[in-house]
Amino acid sequence: MSDEAELYRRAYERERDARKAAEQVVEDTTRELYRKNQKLEESLKQLKDQQRVLIQNEKLAMLGTLAAGIAHEINNPMAFVHANLESLADYLEPYQELVEKQAAALKLAPQEQAVAREEIARLIESADLEFFQEELPDLMSDTREGLERVREIVGNLRTFARTHSQERRSADLVAGIQSTLKLLNSQFGTDVSVMQSLQPLPLVNCNISELNQVFLNLLVNAGHALEGRKGATISISTRADKKFAYVEIADNGCGMSDAIKEQIFVPFFTTKPVGKGTGMGMSIAYGIIAEHGGEIHVESQEGEGTRFIIKLPIEGSEPSVKDAV
Amino acid sequence: MKGVVFNILEDMVTERGGLHLWQKVLDKAGVEGGYTAVATYGDEELFEIVGVVVEELGLPAEEVIGAFGVYMFGQLARRYPAFVDNCDDFFSFLESIDSVIHLEVRKLMTETQLPSIECIRQSDTELLINYSSPRKLCILAEGLIYGAAEQYGNKIKIDHPVCMHKSADHCELRVSLTNE
Repeated sequence: MSDEAELYRRAYERERDARKAAEQVVEDTTRELYRKNQKLEESLKQLKDQQRVLIQNEKLAMLGTLAAGIAHEINNPMAFVHANLESLADYLEPYQELVEKQAAALKLAPQEQAVAREEIARLIESADLEFFQEELPDLMSDTREGLERVREIVGNLRTFARTHSQERRSADLVAGIQSTLKLLNSQFGTDVSVMQSLQPLPLVNCNISELNQVFLNLLVNAGHALEGRKGATISISTRADKKFAYVEIADNGCGMSDAIKEQIFVPFFTTKPVGKGTGMGMSIAYGIIAEHGGEIHVESQEGEGTRFIIKLPIEGSEPSVKDAV
Repeated sequence: MKGVVFNILEDMVTERGGLHLWQKVLDKAGVEGGYTAVATYGDEELFEIVGVVVEELGLPAEEVIGAFGVYMFGQLARRYPAFVDNCDDFFSFLESIDSVIHLEVRKLMTETQLPSIECIRQSDTELLINYSSPRKLCILAEGLIYGAAEQYGNKIKIDHPVCMHKSADHCELRVSLTNE
């Protein structure tokens, strides 16, 4: 081979070696990338699992807070259902006697009924059965109402406590808000007036159990902010535009300073004394809303009040993953 | 030493003496050759090759290495224009070497040992660079700085009062903008 050719051969060989070395680097790097990606996916899964646990714990803590109020809620109707049934029990004996005496009297010949009639009249008088007769329909409907209320409260509680659901379904946020409000009736008592301006909302594809947890959290916080406040008001309103449903929960309570406002969504941040409040409620709420493709904002003036605005995409207009990037 | 430096040296040598010279240098240095920009090779391999290049060119080592520095800057700027585009002026570019450029290098190659380059502005026209590296390539650093100055259209002079080759633990490179 000529010198020239030999030169080019040498040069070619070196170039080829360089190319192969580069290919090796590519392979190694790709392998490393794959490995790191696997690790990241594992970490992500772990984080998501932990987040689920956190949400669950927060929910349980919330349930604990509600328990006393709900027990009271259930106790009230149960008290008068009980009282009503006691009344019924009192009247049961004479009522039964009456029916028996009437049945017996009907078997007698008309001319023999006079004594029976008298006995019946006396019974009605002494047991005050006329009065009972008048009261009976109301007794029944009050009792029914009371039990209906208990059934509803239990139903709302179950909806809230339902843990298994990871799925998203079409849901009516207004119904969710209303059922959540019912859980809180006793919490607020007569000192707080709750103003609702709930315009009908289009369906939102969501985990309604999680969203109810968010609403509940905000409402409970509002209640706390209003402690001791005269003319305490919580207002809840909903509205929608073409793409989003908006839920606003506002109170005229103690409000927050700018410094606190900046921190409220930070995990473990709380202004409550030790032992009260986990400091996780708002950060979990933030996470839940974010995962639904929505946003939560807060406006507040110290001494005047606070307003939370939740924005959620309505069904059919959720952002795709592409949009989010 | 990152492979790209070998590739740039090859470019410089083949520009001066053709393919022939580079192959001869590699054979004389007793190295395999075939360097890819994305891999890392031993520093000694580079020094062997530079030693042979200096011999072949028959010039003083400092001159060759300085010229290589200037040439290398131009080539690096061509291969990675973003680093130059990001900085509006010469001194900010020098300041970005440690925080930006070397950061990028570390992302790609974790085993790379990069020189430590600390910039301290003395005035509007003077920048003090504290350079330190086990490879003591302060002459190359000077060449690169001259190359960068050319890129930004500045005329400079570099004073080198403290040097690792003179038993110091680092080098002081005082870069001053001159007005001619």
